Amino acid sequence: MLSGLGTHGPQVSSLGLLVINSVLFASAIWLLMRPKNQQKGWLWSLFLLAIIASGSRIVLVGLPNIMPVTILVIMVASKYGLQRSIAFVILVTVSSNAVLGDGWWTLFQVLAWSSVAGVSAVFSVHDDDGNLSMKRLSFAAIWSVPLFSMIVSLSILDGSMSTLEYVLYLFNGIPFDALHMMGNMFFAVWCGAWFEQILSLQTPSQQRIVREDQHVSIV
Amino acid sequence: MKRVVLLSLLLFLLPFAKAESNHSWEHEFENGYITTQPLLVEDSVFVRTSGFWMGDERPQVSAFEISSGDELWTYRSETTLQHDMSPLMFVEAGSGVCGVWQDVLIVAWADGKVTALNPSNGELVWEQQTEVNVLGITGKLGIDGDRVVVPTRQGLSTFCLDDGAQLLRVEFEEMGWRNGVLVSESGYHVGTEVGVLYSVNRDGTMTNSSIGDGKIRHAPIETQHGLLIHLQTATGSVLYLNNSIIGNYGFSPAIPLQFEDHIFLATSNEWVSLSCNNITCLEESRSSFHSNGEMSMRTLMNDSIEIWVPSNTPNGGWGVFNRTSLQRMHTTSFDSYTTAAPGFSSTAMALGNDMGLLQVTVFDSDETIEQESTFSLTEALHYVLLLLSYLLCCLFFATDNKPKLWKALTLFLLLFTVAAVPEISAKWPTLAESDTEAAWDIEWPEEWRDTQIVVIEIDGTENVIGGLSGHSNVYELTQAATLSLGISTEYEDQYLGLYLLSFNGTEGDGWEFTIDGSRSNTGIVDTTIDSDSILRWRPA
Repeated sequence: MLSGLGTHGPQVSSLGLLVINSVLFASAIWLLMRPKNQQKGWLWSLFLLAIIASGSRIVLVGLPNIMPVTILVIMVASKYGLQRSIAFVILVTVSSNAVLGDGWWTLFQVLAWSSVAGVSAVFSVHDDDGNLSMKRLSFAAIWSVPLFSMIVSLSILDGSMSTLEYVLYLFNGIPFDALHMMGNMFFAVWCGAWFEQILSLQTPSQQRIVREDQHVSIV
Repeated sequence: MKRVVLLSLLLFLLPFAKAESNHSWEHEFENGYITTQPLLVEDSVFVRTSGFWMGDERPQVSAFEISSGDELWTYRSETTLQHDMSPLMFVEAGSGVCGVWQDVLIVAWADGKVTALNPSNGELVWEQQTEVNVLGITGKLGIDGDRVVVPTRQGLSTFCLDDGAQLLRVEFEEMGWRNGVLVSESGYHVGTEVGVLYSVNRDGTMTNSSIGDGKIRHAPIETQHGLLIHLQTATGSVLYLNNSIIGNYGFSPAIPLQFEDHIFLATSNEWVSLSCNNITCLEESRSSFHSNGEMSMRTLMNDSIEIWVPSNTPNGGWGVFNRTSLQRMHTTSFDSYTTAAPGFSSTAMALGNDMGLLQVTVFDSDETIEQESTFSLTEALHYVLLLLSYLLCCLFFATDNKPKLWKALTLFLLLFTVAAVPEISAKWPTLAESDTEAAWDIEWPEEWRDTQIVVIEIDGTENVIGGLSGHSNVYELTQAATLSLGISTEYEDQYLGLYLLSFNGTEGDGWEFTIDGSRSNTGIVDTTIDSDSILRWRPA
């Protein structure tokens, strides 16, 4: 399954990739079918956002790290919980990597975004009334980057790389992390309210009340 | 709607990721290669072919319409020999002591003929025969008022532009090859294959002097300190200024190019920029590059210049230099060994290579060749957006509109970061380079010690070459190594600079390199290397 050791970690054979993607996809289905959170009316919103995230990641591939995926992961985790957000991460990563390039790193991207989702599920970007807090989302746009970067960079570790080299690798990536942060901030501020509307598309009618939170308005 | 506009604006940033030149048309000559600069004159491009023709095929001069690529005419020599390497010369209509002439295209042939062609229809205006000793004319012609100055195989002739009447003839003791002529105030200067420089006065008297043990294969360059000659020798090349050695360089020097107080040289090893001051001419910079033919210059709108240098390697392409360093590689889909300089006009560019392929790029009327270099619509849009978002920040700050200020600020910061990261990332890693010792393989020859070594892992096989030297960055070293190893490469110009796409057509998931065992986050052009570096390429 592992055919060699590349600078992104082991080179995975086609069969290996098929197995990895199948396992990831099955995990996503399982997570979507057995959520602990009993919210209703989320499925189409989640799929729609997954399409937006994957599509924008592919379209914006020429601008490294500028994409709305991280912000969407944070918002989905905060709104729908950890299980659905991990499923969301898997769907987005596997589908976009099918176009951008698949490999060992897919696992680490899933792990990194899932970690961001995990923290976001605990430290919600929604307030007690369920309204999106732009302050929390902006803060999350920043803290999520080093967390994502550290975990996704683990994919380059192989037997020949020392801890110091790994730290230097992270250090060298700081300009791109800055790009990631600025991209996150941009999508949070400009598209956060829009994403929130999609997240709330299928909210049951009894829950539809007029709520105002800064410049986020949900009707 | 607003978000749609925003996403559209983001898409405008995408062209930063990849910039490719557009081309209008190509023409493949079946009977030889293009080894001299295509000429672009008004609406026509003139190009000649050289060597490796067989049977009934013959070298030719052809004219094409620049905009459409339609062939206007072809003049074929039935008598010429191999290696027609004398550059074409276009002379505008004029008059002089010897007569009045219309626009003419002067073509010198390897069988010693000099022909003047009507550039509009290719018809012969006049023809003259010079001496042949195995070969005839192979050097660059000169113009001296009303006459064309022809460095022949073993002498020099001048012919009236009006009717081709011979006005001067002198003979040398030695033969020349690609021996262009310099026309100066004092007369004509031509070198030979044994390093002798002949200076011919206009009255036919002449002097000669031995420059050195080598070959003079270009027209001397006139400087305020005397003549500059790049002598090809058995061990490389030697640069002479007024008969004094001022530098030693690599093999097979290209034809030097002069611009104001700068002179540009190239060899199989390097590209060199010389700067001449009041005292002497000094080397200002040197870059690893392999070029052996012609260079040409392109003047941009802001009066800066670009030096276009053909790469005489299997991968071909053209190095584009400013006065001191390589700025980028210009590549096309048909790159191969190239010695012909690109031809330029204000609206088009013509490239030719050793495969006999001519590519002419025509720019739109509102996108001239100068604009293509100095003005980019996407870059301009980027900076307009940057400025606009900054002004909006100021406006919303002034009106205390915090939500909109926040939006404008994030847009400004994003645009600023996108513009700044390529430059920052190129310098950033120098703060934290690791000092990992390179892995020396005991199976490598000892003579490779302290030289540049390249290892390329393709499909699990290591391709190794050592003993390289003089290369200053990863790109140059990779080019040199792949040339020696016979491995083809493919590059792409991306957001962060030149990117290696494939070795031998294998792209995989990308390629990454280590220098002396350490990874680098800078691009292949920005990553500098030492004289004893070990460069290792492997699949990502």
